[in-house]
Amino acid sequence: MLFPRGDRSPFILNRRQQLLHLGGGFAGLALADLLAGSVVAESSRAGTGPHFVPKAKHCIFLFMNGGPSQVDTFDPKPALTKHHGQPYTGDAVVGSNGRPVGHLMQSPFPFRSHGDSGLEISSLYPNLSAHADELCVIRSMHADTAAHASGCLQMNTGSIFIGKPSLGSWLSYGLGTENQNLPAFVVMPDPRGGPIGSASNWSAGFMPASHQGTLFRSGSAPLLNLSNPEGTSNRTQRRSLDLLQALNAEHLQRRPEESELEARIQSYELAFRMQSAAMNVVDLQQETRETQDMYGLTNPLTADFGRKCLLTRRLIQHGVRFVQLYSGGGHQEETWDGHGDCISNHRLHAGETDQPIAALITDLKRTGLWDETLLVWGGEFGRTPTSEGVNKPGRDHDWHGFSMWLAGAGVRGGQAIGATDELGFAAVEDRCHVSELHATILHLMGIDANRLHFLHQGLNQRLTGVEPRQVVRKALL
Amino acid sequence: MASNADEREAPGCRPEDPREMMKQSWLNDVLPLTACWLVVSSASAVDFENDIRPILRDRCVSCHGPLRQEGDLRLDAGKLILDGGTHAVVVPGQSAASELLRRVRSDDPDVRMPPEGNRISADQIRLLETWIDDGAEIPDEEAVAAPVERHWAFQPIRRPDVPVLNDVEQPVNPIDAFIFARRQSEGLLIPPRAAAEVLLRRVFLDLIGLPPTIAEQDQFSETQNLDQVIADLLQRPEYGERWARHWLDVARYADSNGYERDAEKPFVWRYRDYVIQALNDDKPFDRFVLEQIAGDELPDRSVESWIATGFLRLGHWDDEPADPRTDRYDQLDDIVSTTGQAFLGLTIGCARCHDHKFEPLTAADYYSMVAVFQPLVRPQDGRTERTIPIDGTDVYAWQETSGQPPETFLLKRGSVTNPGPRVFPAVPQILTKAQPEFPSAAVLNDHHHSEGATSRRRLTFARWLVALENPLTARVIVNRIWQQHFGEGLVTTANDFGLMGAPPTHPELLDWLAHWLMHDAGWSLKKLHTLILTSRSWQSVKTADSVIRYRRLEVEAIRDSMLAVSGQLNAQHFGPAMKPPIPQAAIEANTDKERIWQASDDREASRRSIYAFVKRGLIVPMFETLDLADTVSSCAKRQVTTVAPQALCLFNGRLTQQQAGHFAAMLRQQAGDDLREQILLAFRTALCRRPSESELARMQAFLKAESLEELCRVILNLNEFVYPE
Repeated sequence: MLFPRGDRSPFILNRRQQLLHLGGGFAGLALADLLAGSVVAESSRAGTGPHFVPKAKHCIFLFMNGGPSQVDTFDPKPALTKHHGQPYTGDAVVGSNGRPVGHLMQSPFPFRSHGDSGLEISSLYPNLSAHADELCVIRSMHADTAAHASGCLQMNTGSIFIGKPSLGSWLSYGLGTENQNLPAFVVMPDPRGGPIGSASNWSAGFMPASHQGTLFRSGSAPLLNLSNPEGTSNRTQRRSLDLLQALNAEHLQRRPEESELEARIQSYELAFRMQSAAMNVVDLQQETRETQDMYGLTNPLTADFGRKCLLTRRLIQHGVRFVQLYSGGGHQEETWDGHGDCISNHRLHAGETDQPIAALITDLKRTGLWDETLLVWGGEFGRTPTSEGVNKPGRDHDWHGFSMWLAGAGVRGGQAIGATDELGFAAVEDRCHVSELHATILHLMGIDANRLHFLHQGLNQRLTGVEPRQVVRKALL
Repeated sequence: MASNADEREAPGCRPEDPREMMKQSWLNDVLPLTACWLVVSSASAVDFENDIRPILRDRCVSCHGPLRQEGDLRLDAGKLILDGGTHAVVVPGQSAASELLRRVRSDDPDVRMPPEGNRISADQIRLLETWIDDGAEIPDEEAVAAPVERHWAFQPIRRPDVPVLNDVEQPVNPIDAFIFARRQSEGLLIPPRAAAEVLLRRVFLDLIGLPPTIAEQDQFSETQNLDQVIADLLQRPEYGERWARHWLDVARYADSNGYERDAEKPFVWRYRDYVIQALNDDKPFDRFVLEQIAGDELPDRSVESWIATGFLRLGHWDDEPADPRTDRYDQLDDIVSTTGQAFLGLTIGCARCHDHKFEPLTAADYYSMVAVFQPLVRPQDGRTERTIPIDGTDVYAWQETSGQPPETFLLKRGSVTNPGPRVFPAVPQILTKAQPEFPSAAVLNDHHHSEGATSRRRLTFARWLVALENPLTARVIVNRIWQQHFGEGLVTTANDFGLMGAPPTHPELLDWLAHWLMHDAGWSLKKLHTLILTSRSWQSVKTADSVIRYRRLEVEAIRDSMLAVSGQLNAQHFGPAMKPPIPQAAIEANTDKERIWQASDDREASRRSIYAFVKRGLIVPMFETLDLADTVSSCAKRQVTTVAPQALCLFNGRLTQQQAGHFAAMLRQQAGDDLREQILLAFRTALCRRPSESELARMQAFLKAESLEELCRVILNLNEFVYPE
């Protein structure tokens, strides 16, 4: 109950157990969660999931912050080579924020077919390519905005406005957590800095704060305020907590019907218990040398993202619902935002992440977590097939068409869905809006996006907005 | 029930809904045993409640119900269906002669019902047919919703008679008469008055958000005059500093815009100071409303009233919008939605794309309100916001640039590319019999300011808001004040007084208070506070069924109380916001981690929490964890979650550790080295009482092994410290 759905007392837990015992199944669980929710109860007129048996219990979102270029990664465009150096004459709006538009620019990273499926992947991903048959690339993604702030918000919350709950919050709200000693929704930013918009990207918005993303770091203090105050021994910490609980218990005795008081007593006990639980999860030394090497922990280039990927596997193993990892942070070239030199930029960021992501897939498979874990890869948008300015190897933002991939539980791997136009500007076949990607992720987690809502300001708010959204059926097994 | 916007997609009983499942299994299990002969006689009977009502509710009632009565027909209750408006909608026993069946079966698009969406399924049509042919049985007893124009919140505010009580002495305070009468009718006892020292701490935390000092406790134990304490607290500047924060919640206050740059709103703190000052001055609430909506259009406007209009500019703002034309309407939507909720308790924002599905608010109502604010322009230089210089003061507000106000069009489905008919400024139709007269052209307000010509649309609108005939404004503010004092509102949905909101638990009391506020108290909130706080109902002990509830203090009051108890509270009032220190780990998750948060020094950061900078992209973790209000939209009520990260923050966090140290030093200084004296003083300072013998014994034993600082850390974390008695 470290990050509970607002469980308030053993009475409620009993009620939940009763409901489960009565055979409510998944629907019963959701109802029990609603009953147990302190504030969630205010929206109890809304229905939560799961609505059907989930394919995936966990989701990992590998967020390539800044916007990776589709034509350099997963969307080969031979026509670009043919027209290299010529001006673009199509309809798509090119040039965000008044930036200069250059000429069409071929990718310097050759594509090759991989695996039995023959999925084409560029040379940026030598390690990941070995898992080509697991990847389901959606080449026809499109978003609503050219700016990083609103783009990151849309990819994370479904809306270009701040103040909405993020995907992880919706999953926490809809499905709860499996390990009450750990948060349901964990975020690991890049050490160079967070994404633009920072915490708005993992905010719980109008939902209770308990559904917000929790920042996690590998290292001695993975969570805020997790360690004892400076100079306080474990023995003193325990003694102080014992005194606190004894005094609180005496206070509660005079007010036995106040469940909030009791819940608060519980929360202190759980906080204490969790100090050791979380420290245990982040202790990567428990992993073998072979595993650490596989993730690239000894190579300075891959060490950070490798640690995050390994920690992710450990978090998933301990029941965490949703983990989001950021590649890239801070400003422009420290992210995938290759305006100046997209070639060196992507070589760096793909280089930092290729081996760790491949290792994560291998590791999930050998630990048996692959069949219950969904992987999502991508950024807030893609990049233009043109250069930014003439004779400059940068690429500008492209939100009309870009690539993302899904892999893991319930996903039909080894295929590319949809297509951009001949040059790679805009999605033209099987177009997939960001909200349709969200609907697909929720679907794989057992939730009908059109039915998961939270009452706020007189409206049943949904991750996927007002319009009903279709699931990308072709992506499913 | 009708809150489920998805019923369109999932018509009928949803089998996955466990409540429905339980209901059905109950019917299956119990009916055959207990009511055999009844069931046998109609083994295949179609049941109105279970079979017919869901179909009608999902497919018909939005046009033929309490909200709208197309063709004068309502299908939301059995007897209304049989009345059938002008048609023989249902002829019992004769489905062939029933208009209902003809309509749902028809292939003619002009005849077919429902006119939009999928047609009613063959199975459902069979159910309707069987029900009619079997005689169209309807329930004997059936609640029929009042038509929307009789919805309680839209009725004029009249003053009900104060109930006269039997068997007990008639209370002096009318609040008690209403509350006690209800309790008597429900067979509940009237709870006893809480102990004097309990009430002292309760009233301090309620009115000023700080516990009473030892000196204040001593003074009270001499006089025992709680009324005097209440009167004194209402005169203290700390009253405004506590209660302004409640209004800032409603006003979606923040110091920055959010989004990529998350730029500081220049001089927005002057609005925060205005609210504090307005409350301390007991500015009549009607004037408070006028100034925030139209402080620049008032005949007696001043710098202060101009600052008040900052209310309209508090919203989030993307200085690099995806679509500038839509963005303009997003900004107007922020104003219209917030204004609707804050003053009227109506979710008017839902009518942006289409007529409100569940409230009598149309898209025309919405865009007529947009027209009221349409003349406003955001002063800006590209992405940089500008202030307006008024008499040498930088004012953060919108501006009406002189000239003819722009035309406003209804936007179909909320889309800027799909304009419908032109609309003119107006107030929601359902709330008025006669529209206020909006000026047709700009009016020169006075000759003092050269830019003085404005449309006066906002002034007209604001005057309607605070007119004595307005059914909502007084009810809504009375309920907010009540909610804050008692922990729960008379209407539990403080921002929603519409059909979808909760009905009042004590409708007569709410109306009595609203009428009294306008007619007797001259909209004085301090008089309302006094009336409430001097009632026995507020002063009663808290029990499982008392009107006054246990409720955790807001994070601001928790933090301020810790600083007060430790002696570190910096009482400095007003001015630019301070920035409390934030753990480095939280800062590292930001793009611009070097510059995003320059923490204030300890002295400055020890000011009251209302002066803490609210950055939309980086909320102080302690505030966020402890349920700070939503900073993006109007917050009707703070959430109270109870989770372990709060315990980590309060038990391990730097602030507590620091204040525990100061607290201990103060105890040593004032109580000397005697452990018992230290404990007694600590309890009095933090909790305003003596510890029990067993509490004392525990703490004495603890101090044999651990430090006084550790004891102070424990005391600052006690449930009793954050849950006022």
